[in-house]
Parts: sequence; C-alpha cells; structure tokens
Amino acid sequence: MATNASVNLPSSAAARRSRRPAPGAGRWFPLFLILPSFIFILIVIGFPLIYSLYVSFTPYELLKPKSLNFELSTALNNYQTLLNDPVFWKALLNTVIFLTITVNLEYVLALALSQLLARVSFGQSILRTLLMIPMMFAPVLVGFQFRWFFNENLGLVNNILGVFGLTGHAWLVEEPYGLFSIILATIWMNLPVMTIILLAGTLSLPFELYEAADVDGASAWQKFRKITLPLLAPFTYIALTLRSLDVSRAFDIVRIMTGGGPGNRTELIWTYVARLSIDSTKFGLGSAMSWITVIMSLGFTVYLFRQLVKSRIVK
Amino acid sequence: MFTSSVRAHRRLNQNCLNGLAWLILVLLALPAAWIILTAFRPATEVNASPPIWIPREITLDAFTTMFGLNPGVQARVAVESYMANSIFCAVFSTIVSVAVGTLAGYAFARFHFRLHTASFLALMFSRSVPGIALSLPLFLLFTRLGLVNNVFGLSFVYIAINIPFTVWLMDGFFRQIPRDLTEAAYIDGCSNWAAFWRVDLPLAGPGLGASGIFAFLAAWNEFQLASILTRSNDARTFPPGLYAFTQQFTVDWRGMCAMSVLMMIPAIVFVILTQRNLVRGLTFGAVKG
Amino acid sequence: MRKLLLLVVAFTLALAAISQHPAQAQGSEPQYAGLDQDLKGVTIRMANIGGGQYEALYKSIPIFEQKTGAKVELVALLDGFAIDQKLKQDFATNAVDYDVAWDHTSFMAQYKDFLEDLNQYFTKDDLKVFSPAIIQSSTIDGKLLLIPRHADISALHYRTDLYGDAKIQAAYKAATGQDLKVPTNLDDVDKQARFFVKGGYSKYGYGMAGKEEALNGRFFEMLFASGGQYLTDKYEPAFNSDVGVKVATLLRGWYKDGIIAKDTPNLVWDGDAANFCNGSVALKLEWYGWYSYFQDPKSCASIAGKFGLARGFTGLSGAGQRPTGWAGAHAFSIPTAAKNKKAAAQLIKFLTSERVAYDEAKLGFLPVRDDVWTRIIADASASAVVLDKQRLELARTQVSEDFKTPPLIAEWIPISNIVYPTIQKVMLGDLEPKAGLDQAASDARKILADAGYYKK
Repeated sequence: MATNASVNLPSSAAARRSRRPAPGAGRWFPLFLILPSFIFILIVIGFPLIYSLYVSFTPYELLKPKSLNFELSTALNNYQTLLNDPVFWKALLNTVIFLTITVNLEYVLALALSQLLARVSFGQSILRTLLMIPMMFAPVLVGFQFRWFFNENLGLVNNILGVFGLTGHAWLVEEPYGLFSIILATIWMNLPVMTIILLAGTLSLPFELYEAADVDGASAWQKFRKITLPLLAPFTYIALTLRSLDVSRAFDIVRIMTGGGPGNRTELIWTYVARLSIDSTKFGLGSAMSWITVIMSLGFTVYLFRQLVKSRIVK
Repeated sequence: MFTSSVRAHRRLNQNCLNGLAWLILVLLALPAAWIILTAFRPATEVNASPPIWIPREITLDAFTTMFGLNPGVQARVAVESYMANSIFCAVFSTIVSVAVGTLAGYAFARFHFRLHTASFLALMFSRSVPGIALSLPLFLLFTRLGLVNNVFGLSFVYIAINIPFTVWLMDGFFRQIPRDLTEAAYIDGCSNWAAFWRVDLPLAGPGLGASGIFAFLAAWNEFQLASILTRSNDARTFPPGLYAFTQQFTVDWRGMCAMSVLMMIPAIVFVILTQRNLVRGLTFGAVKG
Repeated sequence: MRKLLLLVVAFTLALAAISQHPAQAQGSEPQYAGLDQDLKGVTIRMANIGGGQYEALYKSIPIFEQKTGAKVELVALLDGFAIDQKLKQDFATNAVDYDVAWDHTSFMAQYKDFLEDLNQYFTKDDLKVFSPAIIQSSTIDGKLLLIPRHADISALHYRTDLYGDAKIQAAYKAATGQDLKVPTNLDDVDKQARFFVKGGYSKYGYGMAGKEEALNGRFFEMLFASGGQYLTDKYEPAFNSDVGVKVATLLRGWYKDGIIAKDTPNLVWDGDAANFCNGSVALKLEWYGWYSYFQDPKSCASIAGKFGLARGFTGLSGAGQRPTGWAGAHAFSIPTAAKNKKAAAQLIKFLTSERVAYDEAKLGFLPVRDDVWTRIIADASASAVVLDKQRLELARTQVSEDFKTPPLIAEWIPISNIVYPTIQKVMLGDLEPKAGLDQAASDARKILADAGYYKK
C-alpha cells in the first residue's frame, strides 16, 4: 500500500498531522519524556564541563592546590600557550586524520558487512554473536594485544610477512604506518558497532519496496543504491556521529599502543591532554585543550545534525 | 516461475554468500582467538619468539592462580568482586539508560516542541566530551555526594554516558515506524502513553536490542571513569582490575588474557539474549498498514 | 696423667665441635623488625605495586598481622605509572585514604609536600642499616621522604657466546687491530655494536628502551657518564651542551644504521628485555631484576647461560667521564593525610626489616641493607652458576659507588615529557640534534622558571 512505502515521506498532509499535538497530555508529554535524560546529562556531563571551563582559565597544577585561583589578567594564558604549541597542532591534525579515515573506512566496511549478513541464510545468530566478539574486549587489552602483533622483532604481523618473504616494518614507529596501525586496531574493535546499527536498520526496512522493485526488474545494485542506501541514511548518520564523537574508546588503545609517540607522530588530542593534565600535572592547560576540542566537536555536531535532518526528507 | 537452473543458480549464490560471510567473520575473530588461546597456554609459550601458533599443552594455570587456587602464589586477584560489581553496574545502567533514552527518543521522533533541535543537539554534543576531562571534576562532585567507591555512583555515570546514543538510535527507529499506526491508535482513543506503550514500542525491537547491547558493552569495558571512581575492591569493576596484571617492568599477559576470557562470558550471554531482538524487523516488514 | 690427657682430648674435641658451627657465634637468622608494638584493632591501609614478583612481601604481611594484631588492607595494586597517577590525583583532590604508599626516588619529589618526614618515626640507628647513598637520595631539604626497600641499577649485559667465539674475536682483531673485550667505555660500545651488526653476528648491536621516562633516563645516564650535566647546580638546563649533542647524535646514528631495533622508540622495559631474551641483541644496559628471567631456559632459551654482566661503561671520551649508574630505589612513604601514622611506620619497619628484605632479595631484588647483601652473596657462593655470585658483587659495587639518581625535583617528570619526544625525533631524523636539544632546553627552562627556581 502506498502509505507503507511512504515511511519517511512527509507529504504535507502527513507533516501537518504530525505537528498537531496528540490528544491528551499535549505539550507537556514530550517534555516529561526527555526530562530524566537531561537530569542525568546535566549532573554527569554538564557540571564537569563547567568546572573544567573554570579551571581552564586558571594556572592550576594538580599538586599545587594554591594554583587554583582565577585572575582576569591571566585567564586566557592557557589558550594562548596551546595555540602557540606545535605539538597541539600536530595532535589536532592527527586527530582529524585519524577520525576521518577511521570513521569512513569503518562505514564502508560496515555497510558491506551488514548487507552480507542480512542475506545470510545459515547460522545467522551465531554469525551475529561472532560479529560482536571484538567489542567484548576491553580497549586496554586490545591495545596490548595489537601492540604485540605489530612489534617489529617479535610480532605476528612481521612473522607472517616473513613467511611470505616480505620485509617487515616497525609498524608503530614509521610514518605513516603508526597512525594506520592504530586505525586498524580501532576499526577491528569498533566495526561491530556500525555493522550492528546498519544491520538492524537493514532488517527493519520494509519488504514490499524490494518486491515492488523486483517487479520493475531492478538489478541488485540498483536496489541497493535507490532503496537501501537512502532508507539507511538516518542510521548512517547516527552511526557516523556516534563513532565520530566516540572519543573515549580510542584513547585507551592509543595510549597503550604508542602513547602518542614516537616523537609525537601518533599524538592525538586525548593522549596529549592526559599527559599534560596528569603526568605533567598541568591540569589547567589540559582543561583548556579539552575545551578547544569540545568547541570543535560542537561545530562538527551541528554539521552532522544538519545532514541527519536532510536525510530524513527522502526524495 | 523459476526453472531448476535458476533455482540452482540462486542456491549457488546463496552458498557463496554464506561462505563469504563466514570467512570474513572468522578472520575478524582471529585476533580474539589469539587472546583466548593465550589464556590457556603454559607461561613460557606466551612470549615465545618465533610465536608458537598451536599450543603444545593446554593449562588452566592462569585461571587457578587468578582464583587463588594456586598454592604457590599468594597475591591474588579479587575476581569475584570484579565480576559482581561489573555485572551490577552494566545490567543496572543498561536497563535504566535504555528505558530513559527510549522515552526521550520517542519524544524527539514523534513530537515537535520548542527547543526540539537545541535539546537534541545538546544530547549529541554531550557525547563528545572526553572521559579524561570528566574524571577529576566528577570525582570531586561525587566525593561531596558520597557516591565514590559505590556501584550506584558508577552506574549513575554509565547511565548518563549511554543515554545520548540510545536517544539517537531510538529516535531513528521510531521514525521508521509509520505514523499511521500511532495515529490509528489515537483515533481509537489511546492516550499518548498508551500509544507509545502498545503500538510504537513493540515495533522498535531492533532498536532496543541494539541500544541494549551497546549500553551493556560500553559499561562493561569502560576503564577511565571506573579507575578513578572506584577505590577498593568493594566497587571495582573488571577493567581497572585488568591492571592488577601489570607489574613493575612487565605485563602478566597471560593473566590478563585469562581475566578477559572470564569477562567475555557474561558479555556473550547478554549478547545472545538480546540479539534476537535484532531479528524482529523481519516480521515487521510484513506488516501492512 | 691419664685424667689430664682425657681432659685435654675432651677439651680439644669440644673446641673442634664448636668451631664446626661458627654461625652460632653470629646473629644467625635474619630478623624481623617492627613487631614490638601491639596494634590490635588497627587497620593499616596500603597502596602498592602489584604482581607476582612481590610474593615475598605479600606472604610476610600475615605474619605482621598475626604478631601485632593489626589488619593490613591492600587498597590498590597497580603498576608504577598507574600508581603515580593515582597518587597525584589523590593528593590533588584530598582523597588519600591509605596509610602506606609505594614511592620511588625518581617520583618522590613531586609528592614532597604531601608526605610525612620519616625522621620522626625512624631513629638514626634504624636508618643505619640502609645504604647511606640511598638514604641521601631519599632526603630533600633534610626531610626523609621514604624508606627504601630495594634498589634498581643497570649492569652491562653482554653475550658470552659472541665475545667468546674465536672466529668473531679474530675478525674483530683483523678489522680494528684490537682484542675483543667487554667494552668499558661508550666509544668501544659503539665500535663493537657496529662490528657485530656489520658482520652479521647479531641482529642488533645494542638494545635500549626508547620512550617515556625510560628514554629520558637512559639519555641522562649516557650524558652524565660522558661528563655532562642535565641541570646545573642553579637548575639551568645543560643537556643541550656539546656533550649532550654528541650523545644525541650517537643515538641517531644507531637508529639510522640499524644498530638498535627499529621499534626502539616504541619500546619500554618489557619490549626491550624481550629483544634481549630472544637473542637479537649483543650488548645492553639492563636492570638486575631481569636476571632470573634471562637465565631460565624455559623463558629465554636463546640466551640462558650465554650472557655475562659487567660494570656500566664510562661515557664518550672527554672530561669528567664516570661509569653509568642511573639508579633509583623503590620505597614506602607515609602520606600526611594518613590516619594511623605510627602504625604505618611500624609496618614499614617490618616490611623493610632484614628478614623480609632477605626474602625479597632471594627472589632477585637488589637489597638496600648491608646485612642482606652479605647474606645473599654468601648464599650465591654456594650456587653452581658462577654468575649468580659475580652479579651480586658487581651490583653491590655499583650501588655503593655508581648510584646516581636524576635531579630530585618535582619537575623531573614534566621535563622528561618534553625531552623524551625530542630525543625520539632526533633518533628518527625528524629533528637535528643541536636544534632539537636547544628547543627542549628552552622549554624545560620555562617550566623551571614558572615553578620559581630562578627567583633570587
């Protein structure tokens, strides 16, 4: 029926209907629904953010409690220091490269894998459980394991390459292999996430559209491009956003695999923040860097959100 | 009407597909297999070079030591505490965050209200804050509230962390469900809540399944905040517990792998139970308006 | 007459009998200490480093609990860097809830405002048993910040199968005109390491850790061995002197020519030791703690029984050379926020007592007490493996003569975090030695200036 095919097509009538307040509780109902979420977020994320904003304007150092004092004249010192710090810019560049490649590569692989898995007829649930295994390891452990895999002298990768007569490399040291090794480990660990989201999305796509396309004599590729991809778009953007902002999972892996080195070659924002804030105890400086990242994420978030909204209005 | 050769062709395609899927997933699982295998190797094989692929003997030494059953070793790891605390925090935070997040996701998907965009953005944005920026301020706050070294305190944090993507996921899934069904429910006299509970929620099965899995695994493997908010084995979860295997100069790699194997068991159980929900979409596709 | 003879014989026999057991004349068994006071009902909480190596320590604790009635609670067991982070965070947020904390001479300066002066709890007699050099390294401005439990210092490890091979010796003599002997200075180390690699006798000529404080420490070590200074007495950075540049250039050459593993900039202690264990490395400075691992044929089949130990080499030729000896001591401290300070002091006294220290030394740790040194050297004399005894005598010499800690200032770690990436970049060829070190020196100076070191 036509209405089923118009799952996400807000014809003006449907759009008008959706904006009419539903009977009953009316305006307050949605606000009640989102209130609990916001309470949690405000306490756990809002408060630390504000606190760390305050600290970023002070020269606070962890073991010098007296340094937590705010003076207007020195408020922007930390930010100035950072903007003049070449390591900060290198970390920023590396982070952008890392995120861009990781997220996009993961997306392509996850898309392919999800389509494959949606069509498998044998042992589906086992395969899905198998798929999620990489996610079940703590990132710390994955970091240790991959660091060993990539060890130049003793690691598995060079060992296997040696069997085929190829020369091994110092995967975690040489440029650009360092960043790529980390990207590989991160993708291995996180591929299941995007794959599951896209798989769940694929499995909930309406059957009839494909049947209709079959009747029209569409090829597999055409069905994929014209039906699957557009309908998966919202899930795609959710998955992309999720992974882009998913900073915390990458931190543990990078810290263990290379620590941001050598010589800042694989320095990412978070390894630098951790080293500054805690090892070197310069918490004020680290907070400033966190905030610069946060502001940039805001811009990025707005961009992705616009894409998400656009994707909801399917042709 | 299909001739037998077309049918055979389709079967071949299907078999190829199955074969390819299995091959890829087995390859994907290989590093994991290596970790699991390491837990059962004798200690000398673990760091051997060149690496020993097939273990020459299987031993449960790493596990007996971990549980304190090895008489030669005094220092033992509080595995039962970690297991209990991890299970509690992960399950509790998953249930609450999926519940709370689903409600919010529904609100964003089905209703339009002021600050709709701003609040959705705020939620998305809150996920971008790195754990490292949160840890110290959270610690200060929770000390005041008496929530440090407390499974409830840690769960509270995990709930907050898992809410954003639950909201986005469920928002996406709810939008996939045709409004007509909800409208029909309203016409039938259902209140907002009844429409949600009886019509939309059951159809969002795959979304709930996916959200649940992610929430659980995120809480299960979280390290940064767990290590600062728990201070003793009363509340410590598995990930900080893994560090019990790091020593002055080295890492007791086999011990760490053994603990990871242990960590995987509840995770696999949870995943097996919830991933059935992912399949519900198949039946939904057959529903006609 | 016969009676007199009998008496003499009996007396002689008795004398002979006594002289068979000379040990009875000395204080035979190693003693515990700190068990004198009753601590019933007291709970002492401790944050420490974990791991199987500390077995002797953890086995001793129940004895303490039993004899004093106290209960010892182990609040955290982590690795060195994790516990440093924990201590920093706890001191910063006033969250210290333990009485005894792990400490180390390289890290203690950071915590100095938060630790008790242990001179209040330990008398001069108590402290006499510890090596004076180490006690001095544990004191800042007259305040004793920690009680040491074992020392770390590195010996030069060399492969006896390479140095003892007649063919290799002949080739070396032919190539350089000199005999192949264990190197005693850094120039010879360089020459021999290059020789081994060029002739294909060893995959790598030298081995070292290449990141974090480890790299900074090794650089510091080669620097002072070559007569250079890391910081002057007035705390001005001096590691960018000509000597410093020479050392950095040496390291760069080693990396470029494959004398050290290409992975070196990503290796810390365990990765570095694994390369030696695997038989890939001819020469390296290495901590004594790895000895039993290297000697065990089950874990290091390639080198077990095939390596020797020597004193640290002196640096590059020039003025002020001295042997390497970057050292530190693992120790215990009492935070000022501790609740049971006296009980904590007693526990520390127990854990560093002769008996416990001896038990730990038997597992391979280097003692900080003279009485324990004597015991384990005597024990090792009975071993069939000559190296067991040699190594202890060598270690003792190094600890008493070559022991050198890095500058005991809180800024050591922050400066380390600037210098080690610089050395890495120099090694990798991303930076020129002089330019890189100069920049690092200027950044380090800024840290010290901000911390108030240059105020008149």
